[in-house]
Amino acid sequence: MSVTGLSPNFKVAFDANSQVFSLAGVVRPRSVDEIADSIAMLKQAIDDVRGVLYVDVKRLIQMNNTAFHAFVRVALDACRSRADLRVVIVTSSVVGWTTRMFGHLNQIEPQISVEVYDSTFYPGQSFVEDTSFIPILRTQTKMTWRHERSILPRHGLRPGIAMADVCCGIGDFAVLVQKEFQPARIVALDHSKASLAYAREVATNFGITDIEYTYGDASEMLLEDNQFDFVSCRHSLQIFNERELLLKELYRICKPGGRVYITNEKNSHCLGEPRAQSIQWTYNEVAKLFSHFDMDVELGPKSRRYLADAGFDDILVESFMVTNLDGDPQDFADVITAWENVYAGEMAVRRGDKPEFIERFRQGFRDHIFAALHPKGYAGWPIWVASGRKPT
Amino acid sequence: MEVGNSVPAEAAFEPLLQFEMEMGTFLSEWQHCDHLSTYLARMISHNRADPVRHSNFFSSALNELLEVSFRGGTSSGQIGLSIYRHGPVERVQITFPCPAEQVPFYREAVSKIDRSDAHARYLDSISTDMAPSRESILLDLAINFDASIRIEESTSPAVTLIVDLPLEGLVS
Repeated sequence: MSVTGLSPNFKVAFDANSQVFSLAGVVRPRSVDEIADSIAMLKQAIDDVRGVLYVDVKRLIQMNNTAFHAFVRVALDACRSRADLRVVIVTSSVVGWTTRMFGHLNQIEPQISVEVYDSTFYPGQSFVEDTSFIPILRTQTKMTWRHERSILPRHGLRPGIAMADVCCGIGDFAVLVQKEFQPARIVALDHSKASLAYAREVATNFGITDIEYTYGDASEMLLEDNQFDFVSCRHSLQIFNERELLLKELYRICKPGGRVYITNEKNSHCLGEPRAQSIQWTYNEVAKLFSHFDMDVELGPKSRRYLADAGFDDILVESFMVTNLDGDPQDFADVITAWENVYAGEMAVRRGDKPEFIERFRQGFRDHIFAALHPKGYAGWPIWVASGRKPT
Repeated sequence: MEVGNSVPAEAAFEPLLQFEMEMGTFLSEWQHCDHLSTYLARMISHNRADPVRHSNFFSSALNELLEVSFRGGTSSGQIGLSIYRHGPVERVQITFPCPAEQVPFYREAVSKIDRSDAHARYLDSISTDMAPSRESILLDLAINFDASIRIEESTSPAVTLIVDLPLEGLVS
């Protein structure tokens, strides 16, 4: 429900099945009367739950002291009258003041605790946010940029627009866009503080000061509705397990008439000659490995469906192949080496694969490198680009 | 006269913006607090390391100060707001007309922020008050936003609160 008289962004809900009472948006009432319905809903939720009530404030963007006192008072009174009740308040590290304000409650009432929702947002986070991966991410962006710089205008990127790059990683794509297309505004969001620190350093070194790097959760962004003409989210939908939620957020921040641009892979279509069979076997196994960790690196061709289901129209899809002939073949080889290290050296090990499997798995990567560096060889890595327009 | 808590030696604060509004106009609409704090926070945060989160934090603090002015102010005269910056700190200077008899209450509330029992009084306020008092809002700023707060009084019945907010450090 949304509450009349307050910000239209204020939302209150109670999910009886999961015993989660959630507050989201902006709530700055002048008096408690303005939030009486929400207070009543919290009281009813407390009456209905057994054991633990979760109070989800992850997307609570603003709450004034009037509302804070009113909601907290209900929770405190409930704990005082019900020894069986526990209240867990779930905050987000992105919205720093909520953790601070709600964090005091445990000192008042031990039955109330605060959990910061800040652990793993998506299954592969620990793999892709490893800072040792940074050099290879830069190389990957360099290789894909050769293609994307001419593709992007077809999907709506042009000078003077407002743009968000969600899941920006080390921010190199935002820097390249800024230099090439001069948008009026770029916000670049990621959930890795290490990556953002690196991104700010790179931007500074390039003398670029007008990219707004921000720490955030792509599925729970602080960014307001309908702000951006162009929203990019590259190589990220495929590693989120809650893809619909992410797309909903991309849709929300995009202006009506603006476009959301996504890129994704289909790893089983990586190819090379010579030694094609070994290469193909390994990349088929890559797809299965990611699937084990609830990621879908076969997503590329499914982009059209995902965008359509999320409500976009005028959907454009195209693909390009990064190859060893694009630039220095050693760059291509370096990327494959990094993949081998992470996929075979870490992910397969974590899955519990046997040494003989891992050795065969590694061999396909080595053969891909062999093909890339062979004077008559050819090696490819296909990428799917898709964008959709948010209806006006 | 000045009363205040742990304000560092006067540093070279650079002005970022100044804003004035007829108090009668300000008091005509409660949503002015929300709109002004959101808009001004965005303006001054654009060149912080994380503009989105800095703006969110700053808006929270500024809104509380505007709400204090709204609840305690009188309709004659003007509300004045200046924002300055020195390194990681933003200084908010907010002046609003209020009844002369109210001024001692602001002075007392500010003077209590530095006392050793401030945290306990803040928890007590959350625990027992039906609605937040002027004092608990200032305690909220001091405790949750690491704010340093002082008060200046003039001959006219008005209060000036000077609030230093080191939010850049909290955000990053």
